[in-house]
Amino acid sequence: MKIAVTGVTGYIGICFAKWAISEGHEIVALSRRRPELVVCDWIPYELSSKQPLALPIDTDAVLHLAMSKSPIDQQDGAQEVLAAELLIEAAKKASAKFIFVSSQTARPDAPTAYGRIKWRIEQDVLSAGGWVVRPGQVYGGMFRGLFGELVKLVQRLPVLPAFMPAPKVQPIHVDDLAAGLLRIAECADIRPGVLCLASPEPVSFTAFLHTIARSRLRLRRCFLPVPALIISTGIRLLGEPFRTRMGLERLRSLFDLPVMNTASDLQRLGLQLRPLPSGMHPAGSARRRHLLVEGHALLSYVLRAQPGNAMLGRYVRAIEKLRGGGILVLPKSFVWWSALLALIDRGNCTETTWGKEFRWRLDAATVLAEASPLGARLFLGMGKHYGFMGSLFGMARAIAFEASWRVLSMLFIPITRIALPRTLPERQ
Amino acid sequence: MKPDFDIIIVGSGPAGVSAAFPLVDAGLRVLMVDGGKQSGVLPPEADFISARTNDIEQWKWMVGEDFHALKKRDAVSPKLRVPSHAYAFEEFEARNHVVGKNFITVGSLATGGLSNAWGCGVARFSAKEMANFPFPASELDVSYAKVSQRMGISGRVDDDMSDYFGLDKYSQPPIPMDALHTHLSQRYLNHRNKLNSQGFRLGRSRVAVLSEDIAGRQACNLSGNCLWGCRRHSMYSSTDDLPGLRKHENFSELSGFVVDGLTRHDGNWNVEGQTTSGGERRSITASKIVLAAGTLATTRIVLKTLNHRRPVPLLSCPTAAFLLWLPRLLGAPRMPGFGLGQLSFSLGLQGNTAAFGSTFATTGIPLSEFVRHVPLRRRYGIDLLRGLLSSCVVGNVFLPGHLTAAEAELQSDASLSVTGKYCNAVVPLMDEAAKKLRKAYWSLGAVLLPGSFTVGHPGGDIHYAGTLPMRESPSLGETSQRGEVEGLDGVFVVDGACLPTLTEKSHTLTMMANADRIGRQLVALFGYKSLHS
Repeated sequence: MKIAVTGVTGYIGICFAKWAISEGHEIVALSRRRPELVVCDWIPYELSSKQPLALPIDTDAVLHLAMSKSPIDQQDGAQEVLAAELLIEAAKKASAKFIFVSSQTARPDAPTAYGRIKWRIEQDVLSAGGWVVRPGQVYGGMFRGLFGELVKLVQRLPVLPAFMPAPKVQPIHVDDLAAGLLRIAECADIRPGVLCLASPEPVSFTAFLHTIARSRLRLRRCFLPVPALIISTGIRLLGEPFRTRMGLERLRSLFDLPVMNTASDLQRLGLQLRPLPSGMHPAGSARRRHLLVEGHALLSYVLRAQPGNAMLGRYVRAIEKLRGGGILVLPKSFVWWSALLALIDRGNCTETTWGKEFRWRLDAATVLAEASPLGARLFLGMGKHYGFMGSLFGMARAIAFEASWRVLSMLFIPITRIALPRTLPERQ
Repeated sequence: MKPDFDIIIVGSGPAGVSAAFPLVDAGLRVLMVDGGKQSGVLPPEADFISARTNDIEQWKWMVGEDFHALKKRDAVSPKLRVPSHAYAFEEFEARNHVVGKNFITVGSLATGGLSNAWGCGVARFSAKEMANFPFPASELDVSYAKVSQRMGISGRVDDDMSDYFGLDKYSQPPIPMDALHTHLSQRYLNHRNKLNSQGFRLGRSRVAVLSEDIAGRQACNLSGNCLWGCRRHSMYSSTDDLPGLRKHENFSELSGFVVDGLTRHDGNWNVEGQTTSGGERRSITASKIVLAAGTLATTRIVLKTLNHRRPVPLLSCPTAAFLLWLPRLLGAPRMPGFGLGQLSFSLGLQGNTAAFGSTFATTGIPLSEFVRHVPLRRRYGIDLLRGLLSSCVVGNVFLPGHLTAAEAELQSDASLSVTGKYCNAVVPLMDEAAKKLRKAYWSLGAVLLPGSFTVGHPGGDIHYAGTLPMRESPSLGETSQRGEVEGLDGVFVVDGACLPTLTEKSHTLTMMANADRIGRQLVALFGYKSLHS
């Protein structure tokens, strides 16, 4: 497919273009300058232009992401609407789908000009038979957009406000949003209309900031309760021009966010969103981190020593290459005290799918642990002479420990039965 | 029309090169084609113990950068998990359309075939064992001598297995044994008469591994890397014979070409196949074809060309493995040493059945191969084996090939389906073997560890033979005494497929000697005078 995109150098635009290209599509950038981060065709384009635009005739879809950088006043607003109309016109001429990325705040009586203008453009798009996407709080990937500003804020301030009552946001990872937008462009059976894309379960803004601090920045942050009513009244009293200049409009939108019902739209697109703490991880997923933690537990159980980064990396790569990269979800206690794995090493769980996978991974960890100088010391006894008595004692000790763990694991059967998963998690 | 070549040999494994030498020496225009897989992972440079102690990159040859050892976790033999041997086995079944049903099918598309990763066991079939061969046993004498000397065999010593192997005339001295095997062999001398009366004979293994340098190959230096690959080329691989063939101008090679059929054209044969790289189809003509693609691949080519849809019998040796513990040597330090068979035994069983086996050091084998089977928690399994294994040796047992009831059958989609199971007699025979070995080794101061005697899966021996047996008067699907396929004049089978008998002994040398014999007969057929006659 050939997809023309405005705002391709922006936060969502880059992610979308990279994803679409990796899926085999062709991107035509409509931007002021040739994009540097993505390899694609380029048509010079100004959002402030009043001239009609000509798109390549084989364009299949137009994705309109661009918006004016500066705070919006009435005049800019009119220009944004005109720009959208010109784009809709160009898309019509090329018989291309038109997809407009709007905002959760879009409504006719929105407290901000931004929300009201987005709503006006939405109306134009809908009447032209186009698609409108209202994303929730976009996060993840690069520090850009509102997400980038929030990250910088959390980085800078040791104490963060916890508004009472807390406003709710509905997060969506930027890559999930990109995937959703591409699906709209690709699928012929998705009817035109408004699609709300965000987590169906809102989280409090405080929790969102907390996740940024913990999962993305690995920082501890204190939260100071601040009554939301006082802030919103204060902002309202300042008057719109002043608010716009101070950049407080966004804060005002935050207090006024409507809850979107997204479950049905996500289902229509067949889109499954990653959980917030996982998506907040720099890699866009905590899966790898969980795999490292799992590898650390298994390898240090086998080796009785720290496995080292290179070996851990090999474990993760092996699981990704040969087992699809899913995680085992080991109970926390086994992760903290890997010696406890002796409770479940044999017997208790071998029948379940989880148990079989656990055995495979324990075998893999054994093979990887052995193939190292550290492994040679442990497995072959290199670097130490045990002698007849030493070996005999070592063997007797191993059997004595085995016997004790057998007794312990029998006693713990009721607990391990409950604590251990029986199947593998479907999506991670 | 003059064909491209006098003879095309399909396969560059031990059988292919053995047939090639007499043909090339006689001046015939010979083309050798093979799957062309080449090794990609280098075995360790230092000896096994030093490499394990110091090499931080050892995972590359132990596990493989593509995690080959983990990928092949369920393969029957540790050899199939070794990254440096991966190329020897890869894609064989897919490209040759061989499907094993409850039967392990292994073959090779590599230059040098399965000899890239074999156990190097060699033995000569006795006249009695060759009773079913459609020619006198003496006809193989010259070939046994020639092939043995070319390969380089070690183990010459006057012991209880000298006659059994029958190779001392052509052998180099044995490779030194490790402390465990020395102990076993000394104890054997003390209990020899008693053990012989029980049908147990023990002696040095005769192996195609050099104890003295020969042309371009170095003698074994006890590096202990036998499982991982020998940089000194001490272990015979038929790739070592290729330089000798390449010296001749009348010898050509086409590597990376998988043959899938033969067609007759103007009194000549077309070898049809596909290149492995581009999948390009090619057809090459010769007046005669020699098939040495390995028993399974050769069988498929023949059955397909004959359009023979009835199942043909397949011989394969039932196997077992066991672990012996020498308590006197508990705590012996790990030493580098020879990793293949050091001592071999023959064992008489019920009904005149004979079993054969060898014992090996455990040092060069990863401990993870053993610990998986130990009924202990992983940590304590490792602790136990660390103490135990340095005083253990592993052993294997082979029974004669007719004790596996297996068949190969050409399917409607032109694939070769191999099915089979052990005959009912195998369970009692293996029980008897376990009992007798336990008793015999007990006299030698070794304990056959309880639970360690494990019978392998059918086909796991990778000794396949007898699908197209040589007969005095062959019927369809059989071969003549010179390996010529009945119904396909000018197509000769020289690999395991044409052996009418598969004994408990290692059959590779006999297969090679027979290939050499057929090669000589082909020379005569062309009216050339063999330079070696």
